[in-house]
Amino acid sequence: MSVIDTINNLIKIVGDAVADLVVGILGAGQIADLVIMGLGALVLCTAVALTFMGMTWAERKVVARIQNRVGPNQAGPFGLLQPIADGIKMFTKEDTTPASADRWVYNAAPLIIATFALLTFSVLPFAPGVVGANINIGVFFVIAVGSASTVAILMAGWGSNNKYSLLGAFRTVAQLVGYEVPMLLNVIPVIVLSGSMSLVDIVQRQTLADGNPGIPFIVYLPLSALAFFIAGVAETGRSPFDLLEAESEIVAGFHVEYSGMKFALFMLGEYVNTLAVSIVFVILFLGGYAGPILPSYIWLLIKTALVFFVFMWLRGTLPRVRVDQLMALNWKVMVPLSVVNIIAVLILAKVFVTSPGLQSANGGILVAPEAQALILFVANIVILLSGLSIMARRARVLRLAEEAQIESRRAANRATASNFIGGAPAK
Amino acid sequence: MTISQILFIVMSLVVLGGGVMVVAARNLFHAALFLILSFFGVTGLYLLLDASFFAAAQFLVYIGAISILVIFAVMLTRGAMAAQPANSQWPAALVVSAILFAIIAVIVGPIAVTIGERQFGDVSWPSVVEGQPVPAVPDDILVRLGQSFVDFNQYAALFLLAAVLILVAMVGAIWVARDRTPREVIEERAELAEESQDMAPPQHQLPVKNAEAVEAPTAGH
Amino acid sequence: MRTDFAFIGVMLVTAFLLMGVAVFAASLLRPKKPSPAKLETYECGMETVGDAWVQFRVQYYIFALIFVLFDVGGVLLFPFAVAFNVVPIYAVLVVILFLGTLMMALLYAWRKGALQWD
Repeated sequence: MSVIDTINNLIKIVGDAVADLVVGILGAGQIADLVIMGLGALVLCTAVALTFMGMTWAERKVVARIQNRVGPNQAGPFGLLQPIADGIKMFTKEDTTPASADRWVYNAAPLIIATFALLTFSVLPFAPGVVGANINIGVFFVIAVGSASTVAILMAGWGSNNKYSLLGAFRTVAQLVGYEVPMLLNVIPVIVLSGSMSLVDIVQRQTLADGNPGIPFIVYLPLSALAFFIAGVAETGRSPFDLLEAESEIVAGFHVEYSGMKFALFMLGEYVNTLAVSIVFVILFLGGYAGPILPSYIWLLIKTALVFFVFMWLRGTLPRVRVDQLMALNWKVMVPLSVVNIIAVLILAKVFVTSPGLQSANGGILVAPEAQALILFVANIVILLSGLSIMARRARVLRLAEEAQIESRRAANRATASNFIGGAPAK
Repeated sequence: MTISQILFIVMSLVVLGGGVMVVAARNLFHAALFLILSFFGVTGLYLLLDASFFAAAQFLVYIGAISILVIFAVMLTRGAMAAQPANSQWPAALVVSAILFAIIAVIVGPIAVTIGERQFGDVSWPSVVEGQPVPAVPDDILVRLGQSFVDFNQYAALFLLAAVLILVAMVGAIWVARDRTPREVIEERAELAEESQDMAPPQHQLPVKNAEAVEAPTAGH
Repeated sequence: MRTDFAFIGVMLVTAFLLMGVAVFAASLLRPKKPSPAKLETYECGMETVGDAWVQFRVQYYIFALIFVLFDVGGVLLFPFAVAFNVVPIYAVLVVILFLGTLMMALLYAWRKGALQWD
């Protein structure tokens, strides 16, 4: 095996070596399998937790630069040791439980949110052959596990027995559950094109036979990618959809009463979910780990960092949206557009097929993959633009109506005022 | 015992224990949480049956959605924070659940066993203990499921019926929670005003007194 | 498949234990000096009045219900999406009918003002 191959498959080779070692000690069997799985899970959890620390540093630094600040710069070079300092603080900070809290519920909520955030990573492929569990319902599993956080948030809000917590939890859940619908709907075109829910298969569908990247699904489905991304931002509760921790309105939302390590677990849950959404976006729309020259895990890292940068960019630039805008964007724009998009993709993908086998089975017009990509791209853009133009027209009508109302009120005021002046005896 | 049998027992205990606690919990919110625990156990049971899609659907729909609905309903209830509401209907509930259990045990159970035997032969517990190979789930199980959803010889009609059911549920929910007409609102407000006048609660006089006290010095100046 | 799900189970247990260990380790390291003032419910320095229970608006429930309905609708589409390449053309019409009915439900909610948050 050449050096390049070794570097490319580094994770797999190390993993296999450790697995062989365990089998050598314990002998092949269920116990050895269990130990190998446990080790893998432990490594995965630790790696994700370390990435979480790096992400907090990167986010603070990048958002600071966007806002013309310096960001953390005291602990170590460029403030690189800041996450470690934060970690030490989290471990040694006094952790109070409010006397009126519902103890079990209060303590279980952060554990549940962090556990299920980490669980998502068990199905994500990081490189060819490096995947915790390649299951046939991959994408669906990710979305399903992501929905567990709503329950944990309600538990935190209730368990704290605090008005702000409960209010924050309710708001959060109303937001999170709403945006799960466009997330579900926009995954469907990807599954239609790849013919499988397994994340490994979806990446393979975007890779050419020689391992080089093919056309990523973002070219086929720009509208789905955009809607999935927006839904992802809302699902992770990040700015501009961070109504769950609107400091000026509900203090900090559902985790007001948490401090120390339990608070850290909420932060971990939030960042790990963001990381998961970034990686899932990369897998679904940007071709996953496929890339030329560099090793595949590096490519995944680069693409994920790029997506996470957009997350940070949004956070640094956009103001928070209002609750009614948030709900309207979801139910009146994203859901209808997604459904129209699904219908268009279903029809076009059935009419324009790329393999002769499908043509002979179901009919349709045989086209090259590039042509199919172009057709779907144009259809997506047309749907997006027509949706936007309908929105713009509607907004214009509403604005004109509002202006007319204001104008008529002003006219009425003017009329009464002139009556008064006219009717009043001059001195 | 095989690992899957141990897991089956654990999961069943989670489901049953959760179910018992739903009824026994004194706090409505805790009852809702135990219901979620029970749902989680059912997810595990689906996984043990190799029904991965149903497990994830169970998780998404029941733990991620229905449970939210249940908790919201609990929070809409007056006195969710209080202990168990006073209520003496448990004997009736006991009778109803006993009857339902009897129906399941006497009618549904044997039917399920018959169907299982017709497909797999012997389905009794000991035959599984002896390590009889469990039939593997075919790889294209999801494809077959999807095909059956749109095949009119199979479930296409039910698939469309589900959409109609969703439509009906939406209409019903919005009708139940509709805004009242202005006349209804006026009548309701009038009733409320009458009630508060009749009762004339002493707490309502307190702020008035304070207001007078605040105003008095101003008037004196 | 079964080993894959076994890994997910192991991952669930490992993640839960790891998070539990973190909380437990923190409880050993941190100071613990509770005082009545510290244990009060936080309300921006004001003394807490009453319980956290508030009468929530029915609108939350309506939104949750609309969500449940669309969630179920979305879930039913997943197997079809997987089988898309092998189903005949009329299947697409069935699904369009399904989606159209869902859209009618959304349109009804829209027209009745149930999607308006105010």
